[in-house]
Amino acid sequence: MSGAVVEVVPRKRPRSRKAKPSTAEPAQAPAASGDRPARLPYLLDLYPAESPAQTRLAPFFDGLREGRFLTTRCRKDGRVLWPPRIVCPTCHTSDLEWVDLPQTGRIYAFSAILAGAPSGLEGELPRVVGLVELDGSPLRIFGRIQGVEWAACRIGMRVRIEPFELPDGRAYYAFRVVS
Amino acid sequence: MSGSREVAVVGGGLTKFGVRGVTWAELAQEAGEVLFRSVPNLRAADVDSLFVGAAEPERFAFQSHVAPLVAEQMGLAPHRIVQRNELACASGQSAIRSAYAAIRAGLSDVAVAVGVEKMNLPDMAEANSAMACVLDRPWDAAHGLTAPPFFAMVAQRHMLEHGTTEEQLAAVSEKNHRFANANPVAQFYEKRFDREKLLRLPMVAPPLRLGDCSSMTDGAGAVVLAAEERVREFTDVPAWIRGSGQYADFHNLANMASLTDWTGLTRASREAFRSAGIGPGDVDLAELHDCFSISEVIEYEAIGFCGPGEGGQFAADGRSGLGGDVVVNPRGGLLGCGHPLGATGIAQAVEVSDQFAHRVDPARQVPDPEWAMVHNLSGSANVHSLMVYERGG
Repeated sequence: MSGAVVEVVPRKRPRSRKAKPSTAEPAQAPAASGDRPARLPYLLDLYPAESPAQTRLAPFFDGLREGRFLTTRCRKDGRVLWPPRIVCPTCHTSDLEWVDLPQTGRIYAFSAILAGAPSGLEGELPRVVGLVELDGSPLRIFGRIQGVEWAACRIGMRVRIEPFELPDGRAYYAFRVVS
Repeated sequence: MSGSREVAVVGGGLTKFGVRGVTWAELAQEAGEVLFRSVPNLRAADVDSLFVGAAEPERFAFQSHVAPLVAEQMGLAPHRIVQRNELACASGQSAIRSAYAAIRAGLSDVAVAVGVEKMNLPDMAEANSAMACVLDRPWDAAHGLTAPPFFAMVAQRHMLEHGTTEEQLAAVSEKNHRFANANPVAQFYEKRFDREKLLRLPMVAPPLRLGDCSSMTDGAGAVVLAAEERVREFTDVPAWIRGSGQYADFHNLANMASLTDWTGLTRASREAFRSAGIGPGDVDLAELHDCFSISEVIEYEAIGFCGPGEGGQFAADGRSGLGGDVVVNPRGGLLGCGHPLGATGIAQAVEVSDQFAHRVDPARQVPDPEWAMVHNLSGSANVHSLMVYERGG
């Protein structure tokens, strides 16, 4: 398979992969009782693999580190796809390009996780989660919502994308309520 | 599907559902015990094919390749088709559908469909992770999404768009728990829940309370399917499979067209009705996938038992209970029986078979049912699987 089917739009060069030890090194053992491990065992780790050795979507995570929220668009039918992909599901072409998504939107639906947390989340309850309508986009994207208590959360609240770093150095994203 | 022979479920049985002090393999042994007890004329040598519905044995029991394991535990030696079926919450029905297709195609004459799930683990966070990875794991579940917050958002939007109330959701849960009180294998057979008590239970994912959510359950069951020329060896009241429908569209939540209008279910149920030659008004009993109270409400609407947005009132008015338009979940549903993923579809088929033969507690017996519909959703309601049964005899 060609490795050049997805053209990367970001102008900056992605940071050196060597700067991200988590992608190259095995999981670290907990330092002491009560400390959370930097990374769960691979098959309990809900977060995506992001290293270019593991995925062709690495530019998405590089984008997060640069404050960008990217996805792929099919060059043939122009459809913006979420989550980012390497082949368009309509045209079945790998001729996709990276594009910036709007970084703001409003809450379309939400709930909160009060019980039943998966491994690694037990200490982070309650967690507000919701579907966010991105401004000027037909996309409704699911994610955690920060900066609001669940009882105070409302449909229609404005949020923005907030990239963050996982303890092992990988990049991920949340929504944060803005006033 | 035309020009092939007819297929029926000729009987089956279930283990006790609940938090069980047994292993995954022991549940499969129990399924064998209840199967041969429930279908007394069945001999192991009759069974030419085996289909095992099991959603996540790798995660719940660290065991793969479960079809031969189940064959060994149940004392079966299938010699035509042996396989596992995985379709998350619909794995049991998936096994039945494959057995049905195999018999209809002439590749099997007598097949057993088994469902096994062992969901209660020493560390329930691991079980919750197993449930999370049913969804789009790196993009949705990584935010903490499991079934309760998803169906909570569905309920929130249904309340906003249609005025559905917590009390109406509790009416669904109350009905199904009441039926479960007449079903000894149900997880909540001995627990009473009235509407007032349900509305005082703690929130799991607002607006859904504990009583709006089906449980993490251990359980197993098995049914026998036979070709028309073999059916009378096993039963006088076959449950003939007359129709089926299935639809899958999205996986990531961003690609779900509507949280509250389940068009995939409407499409799948239309196909099920078309292939059976009946309509919603002909259904006497429906085993609908009430993984959450709101699911059953939307299923009434999408299948056509009531109009769009009317599902909450339909339940509150008793139109889905005994004496109503259609009796929904007389088994006790997933809310009352618990939801051992792979075993649920099997349990629904056992209920249809037992209801047709008038073998259930009178407190939940549907009067002379002739047509039954069975539905499972799986994942984030992104797959819908339906079957239509007609009573023979």
